[in-house]
Amino acid sequence: MWVDIDPALYDPEVGNRTYNEYLDELEFAAGCGFDAVGVNEHHSNGYGLMPSPNIIAAALSRNCPDTNIVVLGDSVALYNPPLRVAEEIAMLDGITGGRMVAGFPVGSPMDTIFAYGQNPATLRERYHEGVDLIRQAWTRDEVFSFNGKYNKLRYVNVWPRPVQQPHPPIWIPGGGSVDTWDWCAQEDLVYCYLSYFGYKAGLKTMQGFWKKVQETGKEANPFQGGFAQFIAVADTEKEAWDLYREPAEYFFNTCLHVYAGFADPPGYKTPNTVRAGVEGMVERAAREATARAEAKKSSPGGGYPKGLSFEEMVEKGYVILGNPTQVAEQVHELATTMHIGHLMTFCHFGNMNKDLVRYNTEMYATKVMPEVCDLFEDEYEDLWWPQPLDQPARRDVPEVSVS
Amino acid sequence: MASTSRPTGPARRTGGIGQLSAYAAETLPFREGHLALVSCGEGSPVTYLHGMLGNPGEHAFLSALANNGWSVTAPSLPGFTGSSEPSGLRNLHDWVVAASELIDLAGVTGHPVVASSVGAMIALELATIRPEAFDAMVLIAPFGLWDPQDPVADPFATTLSNQRRMLTADPAASASFFDDPEEMPADLLVEHGVDRYLTRSASAQLIWPIPEFGISERLHLVKNPVTLVHGAKDAIIPASYLNKWEQILPNVVGVHCVEEAGHQAEFDRPEDIAAIATSALS
Repeated sequence: MWVDIDPALYDPEVGNRTYNEYLDELEFAAGCGFDAVGVNEHHSNGYGLMPSPNIIAAALSRNCPDTNIVVLGDSVALYNPPLRVAEEIAMLDGITGGRMVAGFPVGSPMDTIFAYGQNPATLRERYHEGVDLIRQAWTRDEVFSFNGKYNKLRYVNVWPRPVQQPHPPIWIPGGGSVDTWDWCAQEDLVYCYLSYFGYKAGLKTMQGFWKKVQETGKEANPFQGGFAQFIAVADTEKEAWDLYREPAEYFFNTCLHVYAGFADPPGYKTPNTVRAGVEGMVERAAREATARAEAKKSSPGGGYPKGLSFEEMVEKGYVILGNPTQVAEQVHELATTMHIGHLMTFCHFGNMNKDLVRYNTEMYATKVMPEVCDLFEDEYEDLWWPQPLDQPARRDVPEVSVS
Repeated sequence: MASTSRPTGPARRTGGIGQLSAYAAETLPFREGHLALVSCGEGSPVTYLHGMLGNPGEHAFLSALANNGWSVTAPSLPGFTGSSEPSGLRNLHDWVVAASELIDLAGVTGHPVVASSVGAMIALELATIRPEAFDAMVLIAPFGLWDPQDPVADPFATTLSNQRRMLTADPAASASFFDDPEEMPADLLVEHGVDRYLTRSASAQLIWPIPEFGISERLHLVKNPVTLVHGAKDAIIPASYLNKWEQILPNVVGVHCVEEAGHQAEFDRPEDIAAIATSALS
C-alpha cells in the first residue's frame, strides 16, 4: 500500500474522479460549517493521493471562502530549500486573506526515508533547521543570510509575505516522539497527535505532551493540543453500525497496511524515544498488519481472522460511533480527558461512497459540532487559530461569455 | 598480478581459538564526545575497523587475530558501539575526516588494517586522500560500488530479525550484537538497546540511501596492497562485486570468496578470516 505499491494498479481515470470527489467533499464540509478543512502530505501511497498538500489547498482556497485551511502539513525536510514552503504558505495566506494554518510534520518513515530517500539519521536535524529557516523567513524584516548545516542561502527574502503576522499559526503533527513534545512545549507550537487508533490509545501520548508543557511552567491551554479521530455518526446507533462497518473494516484491515520493514528505519527515532520505549503510530500500524499477515499464513484454509472487527474498533475507540447525542458525548469525553481544543475529524475513511461521506459530514457538522464547539472557549483563548483580514478582498470566478 | 584463492572452504576449528586473550577497553576524548576502543593480544600491530554490526569487543575474531600473533586495536567509529557521534557529520567527507582524526587518536596510523563492510568503505576513502593512513589492507565486503543490474540489497527496509539474517550467514553469529546479555539489569538492558539502535543508525547514516558516493573515481589513488574477502552467502553485497573491486583497485594482492560466510564474514568464520588476514599482512 505504501512505498512499493505496484504502479500498474494506478488508473488515471479513477485518479481524476477521486481527486475531484475529494475536493467536492472538502468543499461540502466547508459549506456545512466546519471551522476548517485539512489536507496532508503522503508519497507513493495508494490510499492518500496527496503528495502536494499545497496544491489541494490552492484548489480549495477560492471555493471555500469562509473556512480556514489547515495544511497538516508540509514535510519540511523534503523541500530543497524549505523556503519553498515559506513561499507557498505565504501565497496561500495571501489568496485566502489569512485563513491558513501551517502544519510542519517530520513526515512518516515511508514518505521521507523510503519514498524520498532522506537519511534517517539526519532527517530530524534537517527538519528542525528547515522550520527555523521558514520562521525566520516569515518574521525577519530584512534580507538575511542563512548559514545552516544543510541549507546555505546567501539571500533569504520571501515574497510574498504572509497576511497573518507574524506568521500563520504553526501546528506540529506528531506520531509519538517524546522530543517533539518538548519542542512544541518550549516553542509554543500546537502539538497534534495524528493517530489512527483513537482517543483511548492516544491519551498517554497527549498526557506526555501536557506534562512537558507543565514542566515549562506555561499554562496548559487546550488549544495548544490537537487530535485526529474517526467519526461515524447517523440518525440512530443501529444505522451507524450498518453504514460504517464495511468502510471501517476496509480501512483498518486493508488500507492501513504498512510493511514492518518500512516502519522503523534506524535513526528515524530519537534516542530519547527509543529509551522511553514509545511505540510510534506507524510502528503500531505495521505491527497490526504483520499480525494479520501471520494469522493468514498460519491458516491457509482461510479460517483466519481478517483483522479487527468493527465491534473491536469501536470498543477500542478507533472509531467514535453512534447517534448525534452518543457521538457528542464521546467527543466531549475525548476533548476533556485529552485536554485538546482542536479536533480533526475523519469523516471519510475506507471505501465510503460520496453520499455516505456527505451524510457523515453533515450529521457531524449540524448535530454534533454545535454541542461541543465552544467547550473551552470560556476559559481559554485560542492563540493558534487563523486571524484573517476583516474584509478580505475576494472576487468570484468571473463567468466566461463566448460571443 | 593478484594471487587468488577461491573459494575458501571452512577450516577445521582447532585448539587455542576458544581461549580469549586479555582485552583492554579504553575511552578517549574525541571532539566534544568520546571514542571507544578495545585492544587485545601482543605482537605486531593490526587495526580492525568494524562493519555494520559495530565493534564486537571481546569476540572470537579479535581473539583469533591475537592468537595469530597480532596486537589488535579496534576503535569504534563515531556513533558506533560506545563512541559518541560528533555533531559535525553531514556527509562522507566529514566521516573521512573524522576517521583520519580517529586513527591518530587511537595511535594506529600506518598500521595494517582489517576493515569490514562500512568500515572497509571508510578505510578505502581515507586511503585515497591519506596514503600513509594504513599499511596493507584486508577488506571484507566493502560498500562503495553500485551495479544497477545487480544492486546492493537494502539492509534497512526490513525488520530487525530479517536484517540479522542479512548480516551473517548464521544468525547465531551476530548474537553479541542482536541478543541482550543474560542477567543484565533492566536499566542497562535499555541502554544496550539504545546503543544497538545508535549503531544501526550510524550505519544508515553512512550508506543511505544508495551506498555509492563516487569512490570508483578515486580508487586509482589507493596504492596500498589490498586483500579482498567476500562471504559467499553475503545477502547484502552480491558476490559479483568481488570481481568489480578486483578490477578497479590498483594493487590487489589477494582475493578470497569464503564459503558459509555472510556479509560480515569475520563473524561467521572468525578463525578462517583471521588466517587470511594473517597470511595477507605478515
